[in-house]
Amino acid sequence: MTTRRSLTLTAAPPALSPGGYVPRAYADRVTPTTARVDFAAGEEGGAWTVALSWHAPRPVRALDGDPARFLDAAALLVPTTEAAQAMTMGAAEDPVEGILWRADGERPLRITATGWGTVVRQAAPAEWAADARWQDGFWYLTFRVGAWAPLARFRRLAVAIWQGAERERAGLKSVTPVWIQLP
Amino acid sequence: MTTTDATAVERQIAMVLDLNKCLGCQTCTVACKKLWNRDSGTGYAYWNNVETQPGQGYPRRWQETGGRTADGAVKRGEIPALDTDYGRAWTFNHEEVRTGVGGGAGKPWLRPDGQPQWGPNWDEDRGAGEHPESNHYFYLPRLCNHCTHPACLDACPRRAIYKRREDGIVLVDQDRCYGYRFCVEACPYKKVFFDPQRNVSTKCIFCLPRIEEGVAPACARQCPGRLRFVGYLDDPAGPIWKLVEKWKVALPLHPELGLGPNVFYVPPVGPVAFDGAGRLVEDAPRIPNELLERLFGPRVHEALRTVREERARRRRGEPSELMDLLIAYDWNQSFRLPVRAREVL
Repeated sequence: MTTRRSLTLTAAPPALSPGGYVPRAYADRVTPTTARVDFAAGEEGGAWTVALSWHAPRPVRALDGDPARFLDAAALLVPTTEAAQAMTMGAAEDPVEGILWRADGERPLRITATGWGTVVRQAAPAEWAADARWQDGFWYLTFRVGAWAPLARFRRLAVAIWQGAERERAGLKSVTPVWIQLP
Repeated sequence: MTTTDATAVERQIAMVLDLNKCLGCQTCTVACKKLWNRDSGTGYAYWNNVETQPGQGYPRRWQETGGRTADGAVKRGEIPALDTDYGRAWTFNHEEVRTGVGGGAGKPWLRPDGQPQWGPNWDEDRGAGEHPESNHYFYLPRLCNHCTHPACLDACPRRAIYKRREDGIVLVDQDRCYGYRFCVEACPYKKVFFDPQRNVSTKCIFCLPRIEEGVAPACARQCPGRLRFVGYLDDPAGPIWKLVEKWKVALPLHPELGLGPNVFYVPPVGPVAFDGAGRLVEDAPRIPNELLERLFGPRVHEALRTVREERARRRRGEPSELMDLLIAYDWNQSFRLPVRAREVL
């Protein structure tokens, strides 16, 4: 069964970011740069497919050697415990994990986290893939992640979108405010 | 051993630069660049640069774009633009000049490819004021200040920046860094750089491997003007303590930001101005006191007074520990660094 929704995103609160700079320097960042994302998720034969599309008028697909450029990116997050929260990127006792796509065409990365500022990026399993195309101002991204035990168990997902043209990175992102509960 | 608690260092290494002796020769810049930043990802980056003050500096407008207000509060900083603020690493028409082909009717001149818009020494020697009465400039060599309270460390949500407990050198753990560049934004001295090839931040490491061998950083050791002193802030036998604590002639850059820079400057005394008739005006410094106070804080006046008094003492043939130190007769006395980590002694 495929679940389709149009999701409303919020700006992740900079106040959650570790350190003294980001919470103060970005305290005014309360409006998400990506307001909505079209979401579809389905499981077939134990393998998961999640499709996202969102408005991205100025896509950034390469750094081009420029220290002031940031890539467009998107990620899915899933809990690994019943209590794990998406907005906090998990916690020490309640980790989260996910898949990160960046618009430079490189293979997606597997991510794990136990709170803000703790993300660890690793090479994704060979069967994980992310196919993206940009057309007429929109990104169309499909994650294929094979069997994903925590998703199969908890059937919850969260989405994060980064607009490189808006210099979004790290905790500067648009996110689903709560877990998306799949049937 | 490392720590992210900036106050937990056991000792603090520091550098003093006597701006009265800087020639603007860029030997320090080249020494640093050749040693640490020759790969393509950091072609635009100069951990050490020498800029003309007053001027916009490198990166352009660095004094306006950092992540601190004039009273030290956090504000959102800017990431300098490659072409208009840092300046892309220039390439030149060497082949055209070598072969004489493609230069039109005359002999082709060596020139940069494209249309450079800024660079690390773009506004060299421009300065300010009116010739001949009040024109002025001086050279300001700049590097990471290895601050006691580093803005870059405070800005990193991944805690990838830390101060070494044993010497207070501020370092980037590039295994933890994911290239978010809040450190680049936040540093008000704009001395953290981003390597887009490796997607990590980079910065001056105070020539860490040399320090551990008891050897001064390349920028200091190669300086033909012998204007740099290196040692520990708490070493009363060393030049740093004497210049900073005892004589109080070495001051941090922009102390009002509250970060506790550990690179200090002996401010330039400079000549006096002329009046309209071409006569020297003894009480009118050519480099305005306001400019020096803006850079080094209100203590600059006391520091300048001390340097002038000690110069006068020397001119009278009287002994002056301060002048002997600043003259640096023997460059070995400029550096006081114990060998700490040599594997084979």
